[in-house]
Amino acid sequence: MIDLLSQAASDLLSLQTMLFLVLGVGVGLIFGVIPGLGGTTALAILLPLTFGMQVIDAFAMSGGIMGAVAMGGSISAILLNAPGTAPSAATCLDGYPLAKQGRAAEAIGAVATASPLGGLFGVLTLLLVLPLAREIVLLFGPPEFFLLAVFGIVTVAMSDSSNLLRGLIAAGVGLMLAFIGYDAVHGGVRFAFASDYLWDGIPLIPSLVGLFGMAEMIGLSIKGGTVAADTATVRVDGVLTGVRATLHNWKVVIRGSVIGTLIGAIPGVGGTVATFIAYSTTKKADRDPESFGTGRIEGVIAPESANNAKDSGALLPTLAFGIPGGAEMAVFLGILVLHGMQPGPAMFVDHIQDVYGLILALTFAAVLASIIGLLSVRWLAAITLVKGQILAPVVIAVSLVGVYAINSRPGDVVLAAVLGVLGHLMIRFDFPRLPLVIALILGETAERGFQQSMMIGQGDWRIFVHSPTSIVMVLLIFVSLSWSVVPYLRKRSSTHKSIPDS
Amino acid sequence: MALALVACGSGGEYPQKDITIVIPYNPGGGFDTYVRAVARSLENHLPNDVNVLAKNSPGAGGRRGASDVFRAKPDGYTIGVFNLPGVLVPELQKIPIGYKLSEISWLVTMGRDPYAFSVRGDSPIKSMDDIGSLGRNVLYGATGPGSTSYIVTNIINEVLGVPYEVVTGYKGSSSYVLGLIRGDFDAALVSMSTARPYLESGDIRALAIFGSESEDPDIADADNLGVPHLGDLSVVRMIGGPPGLPEDISATLEEALLAAMEDPEFKVWLQDTGNQVQPKGSADTAKAVSAMSEFYENFEQFLN
Repeated sequence: MIDLLSQAASDLLSLQTMLFLVLGVGVGLIFGVIPGLGGTTALAILLPLTFGMQVIDAFAMSGGIMGAVAMGGSISAILLNAPGTAPSAATCLDGYPLAKQGRAAEAIGAVATASPLGGLFGVLTLLLVLPLAREIVLLFGPPEFFLLAVFGIVTVAMSDSSNLLRGLIAAGVGLMLAFIGYDAVHGGVRFAFASDYLWDGIPLIPSLVGLFGMAEMIGLSIKGGTVAADTATVRVDGVLTGVRATLHNWKVVIRGSVIGTLIGAIPGVGGTVATFIAYSTTKKADRDPESFGTGRIEGVIAPESANNAKDSGALLPTLAFGIPGGAEMAVFLGILVLHGMQPGPAMFVDHIQDVYGLILALTFAAVLASIIGLLSVRWLAAITLVKGQILAPVVIAVSLVGVYAINSRPGDVVLAAVLGVLGHLMIRFDFPRLPLVIALILGETAERGFQQSMMIGQGDWRIFVHSPTSIVMVLLIFVSLSWSVVPYLRKRSSTHKSIPDS
Repeated sequence: MALALVACGSGGEYPQKDITIVIPYNPGGGFDTYVRAVARSLENHLPNDVNVLAKNSPGAGGRRGASDVFRAKPDGYTIGVFNLPGVLVPELQKIPIGYKLSEISWLVTMGRDPYAFSVRGDSPIKSMDDIGSLGRNVLYGATGPGSTSYIVTNIINEVLGVPYEVVTGYKGSSSYVLGLIRGDFDAALVSMSTARPYLESGDIRALAIFGSESEDPDIADADNLGVPHLGDLSVVRMIGGPPGLPEDISATLEEALLAAMEDPEFKVWLQDTGNQVQPKGSADTAKAVSAMSEFYENFEQFLN
């Protein structure tokens, strides 16, 4: 393996290949920063161009894009509360409050440290588990998918024990949105109100742009002022503080990386779930979970370490079975096929050196993107000083153009606007937006997994505890439930007791 | 240059500008790359040095792309790829679709992709005879109801008279192949192009093949099974233009497409990627469309 790695490294280190890598990183950063665009769009646009390239060059460029998009996406998540890419949405939760306190540079410093560390961790794990790739992917059938979806929704919806009911209501609304459209299992169309647009369901990216970016910009333009509450406190020299904070919180980095790699490897679940679960697990494990969402640097570090780790994880099912871990991987699969590689079990035998080349390209890209990101942070952080009246219309326009650019569907723009208003109302009435998003993402997985399990098990409920994996998932769900419900009940009983006392 | 002028003189003025080829799927899929490779090679065989642009128009199981082509101006600058029976079945189901396959100006057939009746590599089901003697319903996996994989599974089992159930809802063919390897169900009908790598690795085993004659004595075909009328069950990829395409234009396109699929550079690509073509001209293609349409009409009861 070492031989193959060093061979792959020397292939990658040629001038031409490095140029393609840098090109990929540049494209990735730009596509990452613009809300609505992202790695999928960038790869899809460049896909035809890779046709005439050598395999290693094509891999260097795609690796560059995939490694850099996360960094770009998180920069706009922190500065504008508009996640540039879907997986960066979790970084908004504490990143944007940090920016409001004038600590944007510190947050970006943390991103630039945590995301390559997560990436490195993911790559190391990938190298170690490559021989076991098949077994890992095969552990997850429909019952395990259902349980995983339930685990994700429960963990996130109940992560704030002071706001349990509102979290559950938001998750319920998210599930209702997720069930709109075509039922892939039984073939009917539900809740589409005779609209062609709703046939395919509620698309994720316009929803994220609406709920996070638009909602915040609506708030900003109503309130006036700048993103950073007090312009005097904006420190653009806080980058090193962010770097130090990340290294200090190495446990959070490792936890996020493990979660990112694991969840990234499960096909069809995707990076957004990985970053959100990393966030809510870190929040729960913290001594002071209530303070998350108000600008905790750990709330940036956790999702960011998952954000780059998940790419390595997602490569497992893509390469081993030709099953893309997410939309980005689906396009990447096309690049593989274009270059005469048939992803599948034989991939690790016939093209193992190219696989190592790709893994190294991903690593270089993550590091390179951080360096470029750090160098430009001074200018990027200045965005938070721009007045709301100027910033809001620009961000809203760019986001909506990005949303329209994905599928050229006017309905996507309308949806983003509608969910923008909903998101704004949720902020005003103190409903968490996260459970809604996670339920929207996982609703389909849960529904599909449940119905398929029932068919496979011929209606027998024991299908949900039929394998060691599913038993572990069930236990995890119960642990997660008791983690949130117990403190909630304790608090309630203490308030009940205090009433007769007074 | 002189050669180009001669070619131009014999083929009339067409083509004067870039030609768009509509691909009814997302960029990046196996089918997309296949068509893009044909499109690249087509540029070398068209007169007047025009470009061939691939345009993805995904959605509604290939129907959006089909209706884009149907509605285009019949000037030879928009042609498209059709995946049958994928776009045929909804027409027979009388779903409002926005195209009529019988009116399309058919140009060429790119290839025929037979269905492999597949089981897991270590499955106790060793031959087609075993599937009737499981003592319970045979469980199959497929994409959603109304999808080609679902309908084909129904047709085969009804004709063979096997008690069965279908687990639906898999996201695509590679996803139910994974389900088959994992052991979610007993068997699945998988198109050969998807199945090939897994058959080679031994993860799955083919018991029978529909849509072509079997060359392997261990793998049955429709004739061996005594159901020769199922020999037409396969995915066929065809290229066509809007209704009313002028004859000289369609002749130029047909000739160029057939030459493109014989191009040495394209052949190398086919060999590298394990893809195949079985090119057929416009008359054969139109005939195959009406034959398929008759075939599926016989199984109307499974279409709804």
